[in-house]
Amino acid sequence: MRLLTHNMLSSNIKGVTNGFPLKIQVEKVVEKQVEINHDFLRNIFPKIDWKAFSDASRIMGYDEMPEEPPEPSVLELNVEFLGKFHHALLELHLEEGALLCPETGRKFPVNKGIPNMLLLEDKV
Amino acid sequence: MTTHGETAATSTLDAHMHRACSLQEGIAEFYDQSSGLWEDIWGDHMHHGFYDPDSNVSGSDHPAAQIRMIEESLRFAGITDDPAKQPKTIVDVGCGIGGSSRYLARKFGAECRGITLSPVQAGRANVLAKYEGLADKAYVSFQVADALKQPFPDGQFDLVWSMESGEHMPDKAKFVNELARVAAPGGTIIIVTWCHRDLGPSEEDLEPWEKKLLNRICNAYYLPEWCSTSDYVKLLQSLSLQDIKAADWSERVAPFWPAVIRSAFTWKGFISLLRSGLKAIKGALVMPLMIQGYQKGVIKFAIITCRKPE
Repeated sequence: MRLLTHNMLSSNIKGVTNGFPLKIQVEKVVEKQVEINHDFLRNIFPKIDWKAFSDASRIMGYDEMPEEPPEPSVLELNVEFLGKFHHALLELHLEEGALLCPETGRKFPVNKGIPNMLLLEDKV
Repeated sequence: MTTHGETAATSTLDAHMHRACSLQEGIAEFYDQSSGLWEDIWGDHMHHGFYDPDSNVSGSDHPAAQIRMIEESLRFAGITDDPAKQPKTIVDVGCGIGGSSRYLARKFGAECRGITLSPVQAGRANVLAKYEGLADKAYVSFQVADALKQPFPDGQFDLVWSMESGEHMPDKAKFVNELARVAAPGGTIIIVTWCHRDLGPSEEDLEPWEKKLLNRICNAYYLPEWCSTSDYVKLLQSLSLQDIKAADWSERVAPFWPAVIRSAFTWKGFISLLRSGLKAIKGALVMPLMIQGYQKGVIKFAIITCRKPE
């Protein structure tokens, strides 16, 4: 699971008012190289919840993302920053671990990089 | 002290939850079992092909027809080739092994998420994405999740795609609600699904023989009750979605089931089926019923699309 995916997943437990962001419990992080696409990064940047993303990247062991979101111009001009953004967003994978609902603490397991968001004890 | 009424209500709720869990488990297991077999023979698109009426279709035409189904669905929904209006975020609800997701992500250079109940399918979808080198232009990711409780915040996706998964949803209202919830303002929703025929103005229900036919299919494919195309339209209308369009494509998919049956009778198909498990075999045995259903006008292959207001 990449941080791009994490940034758009939320807890779907009934009654939870704030299910985002899910807390990350790391067991195994894997780095998988991926070719950088500057346009993609610039397009996706406005959709990213920056605080959730930068906090998550630190939990995954990468400290290069600033706490405050950068100005969009940084993404236009600073290629080095784009590379780091790319690395944190797309190249760090949570292979094994869990995602926790921020309100209830309920665990959603992540196995082989796939989050399992099913609520089998159906909270109807 | 519990009253008799309370006990009855609790046991009804328990029974409902048990049925819901069993259906989900049945669906997951069915696809865990049969996914590999399907992929082996048919490739990575687990949906009907789109054909010209009365055409003579040979074996090699089917994968192309499956691609055409995706393209025709996009066209029907009014998704143009105009780059400014193309979707940038897509959700594939009931994604199978990710055939549609990868195709759409590549076509639009978009970010696409797929959700499925089957862990085996999600795993396979990820592997195929890696093989196809989808890292350079587009991004796909797959999660195990419930379409009735999508794990996404509201308004995320420019395109909400449900290709032949609606028939598995036990609560059509919740299903459609979730599709609408996760659609971005101005986003497009595309539902391609199996329905039963619309009821006539004086009809309250299908004929008993029609229900019996559908029940046998439901049983083998882990489908809950069927609804009609106009039921979907009414649900979309109730959510104030715009530009609602529906069409009956039953005639455009007619060559599909006979082709699937033929593939099961090849030596490879037969052996693979035997190896896949009872659920997959049961599914195969019921295929002639699908043809019967279409021929008798009970089963309709429907597309329903709409837009979420800005």
